[in-house]
Order: sequence, then C-alpha cells, then structure tokens
Amino acid sequence: MEDLSMDNIENKISSYLSFKLGDEYFAANVSKVLSILEMTKITKVPKSPDYMRGVINLRGTVLPLIDTRVKFGMTPTEFTVNTCILVLDIDMDGESVHIGALVDSVHEVVEIEESRILPPPSIGSKYKSEFINGIAKIGDDFVMILNMDLIFSADEIVDLKESSENVEITEEAQEAEVNNHS
Amino acid sequence: MENFKEKFKEEAIENINDLEKALLELESSPQDKELIERVFRAMHSLKGGGAMFGYANISEYTHNLETVYDRVRNDQMKIDENLLNITFASVDLLKKFLNEEDQDPEVIKEKNFLSGEINALINGQPIPNQPVSLQPFASEEKNKSLKTFYVLFIPEENIFDNGTNPLFLLDELGSLSNDFVVYPHVNKVPGLEKINPESCYIYWEIYLSTEADMNAITDVFIFVEDECVLQVNKISEVNLLQNKEFLNKIDKTYKDQVDADVNELTKFAYNLSQASVEEKKKAEEKPGINVKERAISSIRVASDKLDNLMNLVSELVTVQARLDLYAANSEDAELLAIAENIQKLSRQMRDIAFSIVLIPIETMLTRFQRLIRDLSNELNKEVIFVTEGVETELDKTIIENLLDPFMHIFRNSLDHGIESAEKRIALGKPAKGKIMLKAFYSGANVFIQISDDGAGIDPEVIREKAIRKGFISQDAQLSKKELIDMIFLPGFSTSDKVTDVSGRGVGMDVVKRKISDIRGEVEVESEVNVGTTITIKLPLTLSIIDGLLVKIQDTFYVIPLSVVNKIYAAPHKDLVNTFNHLVVLDGRQIPFYYLREELGVEENQTQMEEVVAVKYEDREIGLVVDSVEGEYQAVLKPLGKHYKKQDFFSGATILGNGTLALVMDTNKAIKRFSIQ
Repeated sequence: MEDLSMDNIENKISSYLSFKLGDEYFAANVSKVLSILEMTKITKVPKSPDYMRGVINLRGTVLPLIDTRVKFGMTPTEFTVNTCILVLDIDMDGESVHIGALVDSVHEVVEIEESRILPPPSIGSKYKSEFINGIAKIGDDFVMILNMDLIFSADEIVDLKESSENVEITEEAQEAEVNNHS
Repeated sequence: MENFKEKFKEEAIENINDLEKALLELESSPQDKELIERVFRAMHSLKGGGAMFGYANISEYTHNLETVYDRVRNDQMKIDENLLNITFASVDLLKKFLNEEDQDPEVIKEKNFLSGEINALINGQPIPNQPVSLQPFASEEKNKSLKTFYVLFIPEENIFDNGTNPLFLLDELGSLSNDFVVYPHVNKVPGLEKINPESCYIYWEIYLSTEADMNAITDVFIFVEDECVLQVNKISEVNLLQNKEFLNKIDKTYKDQVDADVNELTKFAYNLSQASVEEKKKAEEKPGINVKERAISSIRVASDKLDNLMNLVSELVTVQARLDLYAANSEDAELLAIAENIQKLSRQMRDIAFSIVLIPIETMLTRFQRLIRDLSNELNKEVIFVTEGVETELDKTIIENLLDPFMHIFRNSLDHGIESAEKRIALGKPAKGKIMLKAFYSGANVFIQISDDGAGIDPEVIREKAIRKGFISQDAQLSKKELIDMIFLPGFSTSDKVTDVSGRGVGMDVVKRKISDIRGEVEVESEVNVGTTITIKLPLTLSIIDGLLVKIQDTFYVIPLSVVNKIYAAPHKDLVNTFNHLVVLDGRQIPFYYLREELGVEENQTQMEEVVAVKYEDREIGLVVDSVEGEYQAVLKPLGKHYKKQDFFSGATILGNGTLALVMDTNKAIKRFSIQ
C-alpha cells in the first residue's frame, strides 16, 4: 500500500483541489474531481451505512453521496452555505465509478511540486496513513493529499465498518440526533 | 479497413440471422414468395459484402446457394426438406467462414460436401422449359435471349472511404454479361497538384448484353447506391454488341468525350434491331430508373449514443417539470401554452427514447428455434416449441447475456428432459414433447420460464450421484429442493455418458453464474415424469415501470404498480401497538409492515395513514406509508455499487421536481423485514 502511494506522487507538478473538513485542509488530485456542486436535496437510502448520506440527482443520473467527515471518523457534516459536493471519478475494482463526496468547504486549486510533498506521518496521526498520499505545505497550512480511490472504494468501506464496529454505534446515535433536528 | 471489416461482420451476422429466421418460417410455409425473396435478399447482401471485404469463400459459397434460390424464386424448383437441410447447414458454414475458421480441415470438408450437394441441386435438376405465360411482361423478363443494357456508373469521390473497389463492381457486372464494353471517363481527373489519391475521379459507361434483367444489374450496385450516380437503361431487346454499326457508334460517342444520350441510343438501337428482329417490341422500360428510392427501415446506432440520449431525455423531462411549475405560477397565458406544448413533445420524445433501448425477447428466439429443430432431429425426438409473452421487453445487454445460459437450458431439456416417442407413449404422454418459453413482468422483475414435459429430475438419482462424487455424505438428510438445487454445483452433471449435446458437467453451474452476473436468480422445479421448469428472474435495470408514488416523512418511494392490490386508509392508532402485526381491512386480517419503523424513520404524528396491500408470494401483505401520492411512471436508475447491499431498492427515479424517489423491490424488502 505504501509503495503504491509513493509511486503515485513520483510525477512532476500536479494540480490539487484543496478543501476543508472541520479545521483541517485536505487535497485531491484534480484529475479525480469531475465537478463541484452546491448542496442539493439528498434522498436518504434507508438501512445504509452512516457514511452513505443518500443519493442525489446529478443531471439525470443517480449519484451516491458519501459523507467524507463520517468516513474520517468525524461528526456528520452539518450543512452550511459553504458545504459542497465534489463529484469524483473513483477507481473501484478496476471500474470507474462516480460518487459525490461531501466536504465542509472547497478552498482552491493549487499546483504542488512532487518534491514538496512529504511522506505521510505514520505515528500519532488520527487518520489511517494508507489513505494519505503525502503532506504538503501551502502558505502556513499543512495539506493532506488524499488517495481518493482507496478512501471511497468499496473494499475500504467494508474494512472501516469491520474495524470500527463500536464507533458505528455511537455514530448511529449521532445520526439519529441529526435526523431529529432536520 | 479493419473497421469496415468489423462493420461488415456485424452486418453479415444480422443477415445470417435474418436468413435463418426466414428459413425457419419457410419450413412451415414453403410456398411463401415473400419469404423466398427474403432468403434471396439476405444471401445477396452476404455475397456482395463478402466479395467487397475479402471474404471470398463467403461470396463464392453464397453465390451457389443464391443460384439455387434464384431457381426457387422463378418457380423452377420447389422448397423441400432436403433443400432446407442443406441451407441450414450452409448457414452454419457461413457463420464459421465469418469467424475465419475456413482453414480448419473440418470446415473445409464440410464445405466440400455441401458444395457438392448444392451443385447436385443446380445440375441435377434440369431447368424446365419456360412455361408460356399469358402476361407479355413476364415472358419478356424471362426471355433467355440477350438484351443490351447501358449502364452509367459515376461513383462519388469518397467511394473508397468505405472500402469499395469500383473495379470489383465492374467485374461482377462483367460476370453477368455475355458481351461487355467498358468506357472509362478520366476527364474529371484533376492535375497532379490537386489530385487526392484517396478520391475517385473516374466514372464508367458500360454496355453489356446479358440474359439478366434490369434488377440483376442494379443489384450489383446495391451496396453503393447511396455513393454513386447510377443509371441503367435497356437499350435494346437484342444483343447489339455483336453489331459493328452499333459498336462504331458508341466508340465515336466515347471519343467525342460526351456521355451517351440514352434516348438517341435507344432510337438508334431500335432502328438497328428493327432491321434484324422485326417482331421485337420497342423497349418499354423508361430510361433512368431511380435506384435510390429504396426506403431505409432501420439504422444502426452505437449503444453509448443511446445511453446519452436516454440521459438527455430524462433531463429534459426534469427541466420540463420545472418549466411547468414556473409557468403555472407566472400566470402568463402565452408561457403556459408554450409549456404545455413542450410538455407534449417531451412526453412523446421520452416514450420513443425508451422504446429504442428495449428490445423484445422475441429477437433472440430464432437461434433457439433452430437449436431445437436441429437437436430434435439429431436425437430423434419430436418436440414442439411454444412461446408465450415474447413481446416482453428487456434491456439489450441483458438479452445478450441470456443467450448462453438459455442454450444450456434448452440443450438439457432436449437431451435429458424429453423422452423418446415410444417411451412417452408408454407413459401416457403425447408422442411429441413440448418445450415452452414463457416471459412475463412481475413487480420490478421480468420472469422467464423454460419448461418441458419430459422426464424431470429424480432427486434420488441426484442423491446417489452427489454421494458418489463426495458432495454429500451417505446419511445426509436433504429435502427434495435441496437435492435438485445440487445440479447448480460446479462439476455436477447428472448424465453418466458425455454426449455431444450435454453432460460435460459445465451446464447448470455456468447458467447460474452467468445469470447472477446480471443480477438475476435461477430456480428449478421438477417432478419425475411430469417435467422440469426453470424460472429465471431478472431485474429491470434499465426500464420503465408503472409505479405508485408514496411518501414517508419527506422521502418519496415508488412501489411497482403490478404488485399493488389495493390501497386502504387506516387510522394511526390501529397500526401501532399491535401485538401480532395484523390489520383488519375489508373484513380480512392482513399482516403488515410499518415502513417507518422498518426503514428506520422515527415516529410521526399523522392521524391517518395508508396501507398499500401488495402481493408477496401467494399472500397479501400491507405496507404502511404516510400517504399515497398517485401513479408515477418511473425510469429506473441504478443506485450504484455503493448501495449493492440495499438491494431491496431496485433503483431510484427522478421526479418532476428533480428530486429522487427510491424504487422498492417489495419482494426483497418483505423478505428482509421478515427475517429481522
């Protein structure tokens, strides 16, 4: 896994889209991002995992929507004017799948040289390091460059669920609370 | 070129299929002129295409076949079983040619054998003398004497683009004729600095004398008729190309660099022929038959274009709903009228777009009819094949994926299922076996049942075999259904001897796997000596269903209308705090599921709720929703891989206001609720 992520960044300069989850900055390679949408009406699919927020209508197709915050073990996204949906092209078992990913806000598109990308921290991080391709410093902020394929592909979802059965329950409680408010 | 070859292949497959279909129909009505025409046309297209794209063997072979059918067409030969058998075998051979297996010694052997048969047909049967016909027209057509034709063939400059070689066409024309004079015109060829080597600047004037009629000549150009200017005229009823005077005349016309004036030529020829043949009537054919006027009944479209079309139409419908809403609020009469008109148009467009991507099951039946015909001959069993509901439409890709599994099933039925006629009579069954294919919609699914009235599957035989093969232990207690389901295990074949037809042990497990690949399910029911029924349940991935739009909280759901029996209103208090989950409606007790609870939506305060009574297996089950909104025609869209575990929703559909409604698969949903 580590090797794979190292291989990916051995390219010269790439463009990244940076976005915010909570107070932290993340970035995704722009080649993965098809478009950015404003919040729209979500249709919840009952009995689905909590990070699956529902489905939306993307110009006539049904787009599954993933709550990136929940996926990262944060509280579910609360919708503000800044909340956006990134439409991503994910490689899932060798097949291209389109999904929507909820983020708190979209920041900017930056060009980052490969040499400025540092390897992901392995100890003391609250995020699983195989999800992270590397870390770059933009201005005063550190940005985590994410491996979108890995994060949003099905196998990983299953893994997450299995490894954090306990977290799931508390999240379900949180989810119910959110529903009560809506 | 490879590209064109692919295209030719595609077209050839279609032609071969059409041929096969027509032959099957011809078997039951051998007198049908139209069918013979269809057979002939398919062969002709194959021949022409084959020659053009380098499948010499195809064109050569079909040429001979065509000769036979030309005689049939002209009433010089009759369709009989022998001819049909040869033709069917030929169709298979052509398929092999198309797959470029022609180097295979087996195939060569087969080809030689069949060619011999065909030649025997052509040569063995003396051509009867032309019956004297009362119709002057017909007698003239069939007159074997030579006639003279003038052909002006001006290919378009881009004729090379699709791989046509005009010289081949001239060759073919030459092969039709007795005498043949060609005048190429090169006056359109530009100077070297302007010449494009990939364009055709030359055109031809051809004089030929032949026994063939005008149609045979225009048929030569059948593939290029849209890429050329073609003029075919009969100049004379006699062969003028032996006539010096005529030859001088046309030579002079050519040297003067002018195109021949057909009227003048005809007149000239008439005068000439008057001298020689006095009784010949003046050529009655009007000059310049327009060969372009053949109507095109279908065209080929890449399927991803269709997918795009579907998406655009769905979006149009969505935007339409917004426009309607806006127009209604604006109180502008003209805007309202426009919105209404656009609505009409978009509805029509939607219906047409949907009908394009769905194809009826009927389209794949020909090959099964053929399979059953051949196999039943081979196995010496008499079988009738009955179909029902074949107009049921399915997505094209699903149909394609069904071909192989269906082949296996039909083979099994014929080989193991249907017994020999003697045995059937001894068992008190009609001598002819019956295989039936029945298709129908149920809920959000299409069911296809293939049943036979044959020997059935004996669970005891399966048990023995399973024990022998080590699948189960000696004392395993298995129900009949469990035993029968063992035929789906890999490596399990009930036939002890391997026949040509089946029994290789790769049958039913492949069927099962292939069908589950397209999210389908297979079930087998069998009764010894009564028969076997295999039911295949398929999802309607890309399909429209009539649904009932219901609402729970603020989410819309669609329940397929076909499973809905009745809708009742019931007060909330009757539905909560019930001990046994039964509600009394119409004086009957109906078990129900409270969808809010089942789907994890919290309690609400509505006083009245509605119970939608749906069919589930052979029972009726109530589904409680907040309210029923009305009927809705839903276009199913898949929820995607991330929701594959939520399979009690068969998809989602886009509502008029752009939001999504989830389409419920009530069978799967109820099954899931019941095990919770």
